[in-house]
Amino acid sequence: MIEDPGQVIEPAQVFRVRGLTKVYGMGAAQVQALAGVDLDLYEGELAVLLGPSGSGKTTLLNNLGGLDVPTAGELLYRGTDLTSADEDDLTTFRRERIGFIFQFYNLIPSLTARENVALITEIARDPMPAEEALEMVQLGARLDHFPAQLSGGEQQRVAIARAIAKRPEVLLCDEPTGALDVRTGIVVLEAIQQVNRELGTLTVVITHNAVMADIADRVIYLSDGRVHHVRKNTTRVPASTLNW
Amino acid sequence: MISYLDRKLWRDLRRLKGQAIAVIMVMACGLAMMTMARSLIYSLDSTRREYYQSNRFADVFDALKRAPNSLVSRIRQLPGVAVAQSGISVQVTLDIPGLEEPATGNVRSVPDVGMPVLNQLFLRSGRWPAPGRRREVLVSEAFAQANHLHPGDSLAMLMNGKRETVRVAGIALSPEFIFEARPGAALPDNRTYGIFWMRRKEVASAFDLDGAFNYLSLTLAPGASERQVIAELDRLLRPYGGLGAFGRADHPSHVRVSDEIKILRTISIGFPVVFLSVAAFMINAVLSRLLALQRDQIAILKAFGFSDRQIVVHYLKFALVMVAGGTVLGGIGGILLGHRLVLMYHRFFRFPDLEFRPDRPAFPMALLVCAFAAFTGVFNAVRRAARLPPAEAMRPEPPANYRPALVERTGIGYLLSHTFRIAVRNIERKPMQALFTVAGLALATGILIVPNAFRDGVTQVLDYQWDTVQRQDVGVGLVEPDSIEVEHLFERLPGVISVEPERRAFVRISFGNRRRQLAIEGLPSKGLLNRVIDESNHQIQLPPHGLVVSAKLAEVLGARPGDLLTVEVLEGRRPTREVRLAGLAEDFAGMAAYMDIHALNRLLEEGDIISGASFTVDRAKWDAFMRALKNIPRVSWVAVKNSLRENFRQTTAASIGLIEKIYMAFAIIVALGVVYNNARISLTERARELATLRVIGFSRREVGTVLITELVILALIAVPLGLLLGTGFAAEIVKAVNTETVRLPLVLTRANYAFAVMVVAVASAVSALLVLRKVNHLDLVGALKAPE
Ligand SMILES: Nc1ncnc2c1ncn2[C@@H]1O[C@H](COP(=O)(O)OP(=O)(O)O)[C@@H](O)[C@H]1O
Ligand SMILES: [Mg+2]
Repeated sequence: MIEDPGQVIEPAQVFRVRGLTKVYGMGAAQVQALAGVDLDLYEGELAVLLGPSGSGKTTLLNNLGGLDVPTAGELLYRGTDLTSADEDDLTTFRRERIGFIFQFYNLIPSLTARENVALITEIARDPMPAEEALEMVQLGARLDHFPAQLSGGEQQRVAIARAIAKRPEVLLCDEPTGALDVRTGIVVLEAIQQVNRELGTLTVVITHNAVMADIADRVIYLSDGRVHHVRKNTTRVPASTLNW
Repeated sequence: MISYLDRKLWRDLRRLKGQAIAVIMVMACGLAMMTMARSLIYSLDSTRREYYQSNRFADVFDALKRAPNSLVSRIRQLPGVAVAQSGISVQVTLDIPGLEEPATGNVRSVPDVGMPVLNQLFLRSGRWPAPGRRREVLVSEAFAQANHLHPGDSLAMLMNGKRETVRVAGIALSPEFIFEARPGAALPDNRTYGIFWMRRKEVASAFDLDGAFNYLSLTLAPGASERQVIAELDRLLRPYGGLGAFGRADHPSHVRVSDEIKILRTISIGFPVVFLSVAAFMINAVLSRLLALQRDQIAILKAFGFSDRQIVVHYLKFALVMVAGGTVLGGIGGILLGHRLVLMYHRFFRFPDLEFRPDRPAFPMALLVCAFAAFTGVFNAVRRAARLPPAEAMRPEPPANYRPALVERTGIGYLLSHTFRIAVRNIERKPMQALFTVAGLALATGILIVPNAFRDGVTQVLDYQWDTVQRQDVGVGLVEPDSIEVEHLFERLPGVISVEPERRAFVRISFGNRRRQLAIEGLPSKGLLNRVIDESNHQIQLPPHGLVVSAKLAEVLGARPGDLLTVEVLEGRRPTREVRLAGLAEDFAGMAAYMDIHALNRLLEEGDIISGASFTVDRAKWDAFMRALKNIPRVSWVAVKNSLRENFRQTTAASIGLIEKIYMAFAIIVALGVVYNNARISLTERARELATLRVIGFSRREVGTVLITELVILALIAVPLGLLLGTGFAAEIVKAVNTETVRLPLVLTRANYAFAVMVVAVASAVSALLVLRKVNHLDLVGALKAPE
């Protein structure tokens, strides 16, 4: 066990992952994306997934978020088994618990910033007003712009607002800064950090940039589809002070 | 050796097969309709032309009372006359075993020896009446088939009042009777009306026409003026009771075939144009999408040194494959449908051999039209893509620009749901795609209206004719006009409830320099059986003076009520009178003129005379009535309303039913194709967006709703337009049918509209469901990767 169970105040466990395996394809073309991941994630923490390209980060995140189902192993969300959930259960799971942020923003091009966020409020149970979510990412002034009228960083911040508007319990971010330049990337990380701090949402951020790992409570190193090791940061560095 | 680029073509096409098939099907519909209609035109037109030529159909015709045979040589000498043929044409009543009402027939003479020179007969079976053998006839094929008559059978014929039993020697056809119907009837009733041919000597002696003729046909010399010949002929035959000569343009059978060709012409252009435009746009939409998806591939091809031209050609080949598929399928479809429809024409038109003849030039033309439509649709998009500098093409397409839709800018935007907003903004961003989807759906709706409007129109005409106008059970005509005494004889027939007399007289009515020949019907002023009805469905009380004519006749003459018409009587004492046009009657077949029977008799300068009567008959004594009627020698024809009605109903139901099925198939294919194509393109264009919605927690149904809302909006726009379009189509076709022989009212029922809406709605829904199934297979994880 890499985790140390003897912690002083144990925050509530959100995910429990044991021996998680994911195999793509058949026969000779088989790829083992995850080869037995063991991991626990806790309420309120900000975890960074670090690892070389192809190490299985995205696959792990997608399994956590109910976008993909594992081939074998144990995957519990607050004690509920996600491996046996059907498509409808997973949709409900995503709708109620998970906020996603993607490398390529994936906004609806035909909706304005405000509407992209408000869209979520149509399906969420206790959403925050779109304006408030956008205010949190400092986009209060660009409410009625369409995606095509926003810069990459702004689009990504709309995506964050969209993800948090439903007050998710988990925020999953797959290389949120991957398509952005450094300065813009920092602004986006600040927004994510701020959400984690103010809303106490369990936040998992994928990156392959080791410098960014400093903003996390814990850094989980993946290689070849396994957790290689976990590093605990004693202090979280504010994103604004990062530099690379 | 297939080039690698062509291999790519086939693989891409395989992936696009659903859409390619949709395009091919829509295109095929347009082409099928075009080749079908054009081939039918060609079949009818060329078959008729050849028939006329080989059987020497005459150019000018005339019926007269009686002229000595010696007159024929004088006619032959008239300038412009090539060949003249005299003959005898008389009306007879028939007694067909198994047919309750007496049938009537037209007996034509054939030369005593040999065959006619003009209007030669085609012998289908049996043989010619043997010279010298008495009581042998040739029977027209339509009548023989309807009554199951074969060579060797016999039937009873009342000839000039004498009952004779005649033997069927053979079954024949004549170019004069391609359309074989009682004069003035809009639809054939082959059970109760037939044409017979008999050796001349025999007819002449039965009708006291030895050494005389009463029917004349002639051909014109090359370059002769038909008008002049007719005028000469009229002058010459006037003393012999000539009813007025007429050319082919007034020949009932010829006109009916021409009218049909006219309708086919309308169909062969209108519909295909719309179908093909929709198909062309569908190709454009499919290819534009493909080009957008393959920007990077184009860039790589160009980076490797493929020329713009090669790339343009490569993508145009996609269009070509679809055009070729559409042409082949449309051609085959057109031929198959044409074969079916030609069989339907056999019910109406009698040719020795009416076969389906494909209009061969139609196929290359169809290919050209299609290719032109497709290439204009895609050429620009392809060229733009090919022109793109490789470096730029490697980058993904810039994000689409959107803006609030028009409905939102009106200020009611806040009322709209997000799903609805996405839909209307998408429609507005791609107006052409929306336009053609709407056009396709509207077209599908519209073409469904046409056959039903036709059917409802015919039904209304028949109901009108037999419920409103003709309330008698039976109509009877006399061989010769007779004194009013006959009416008393009629009244005493078994089962008669009421009788109303009728007097018909052949006249020529002219106004200015326009004129028409027809029979004036003299009726009781306010008859209860045979009624004259005006436009607003009220009975017209025939005035003591003056004439009431069909609105169509007034239109043809250019006359209005109050005008003085010249009436030239063509029988009896042949007086010529000015008669005031007193009113217009509404009718749908042929052209009629009505007068109060007493007024007509005064005009004719003959006392109280009738030429026929209308009856209502006690059903219980029906058989006795019919038997008695068959035995009155003076009766020339009998029309039993209910059997006519039933017969018409079956004939029209069968032919309209077939056309309705064809149109419905087309409508369904277009609706399916257009909706499928639109939904598939939306799906590929927006796969990423829809997958994202799924990822962030929208259910399949909710995502499906986003996709479907757009289609529903388009359908809601299209359907009313389609109903309008269909109304226009129907009006246009009704106008094409509006001839002197038949007219149809434009009848558009709610049921007709509802049916069209339902068919299109169901077809669209099925198509949409097919695409929606693909929403279930959206690649959620793939959507999060780099944009295409
Ligand atoms: N849908 C898939 N089909 C086949 N192989 C896949 C698929 N998704 C990921 N893989 C493979 O699984 C491995 C892990 O991928 P991924 O989780 O995307 O890595 P990372 O995000 O760490 O770069 C890689 O070898 C990748 O090629
Ligand atoms: Mg990844």
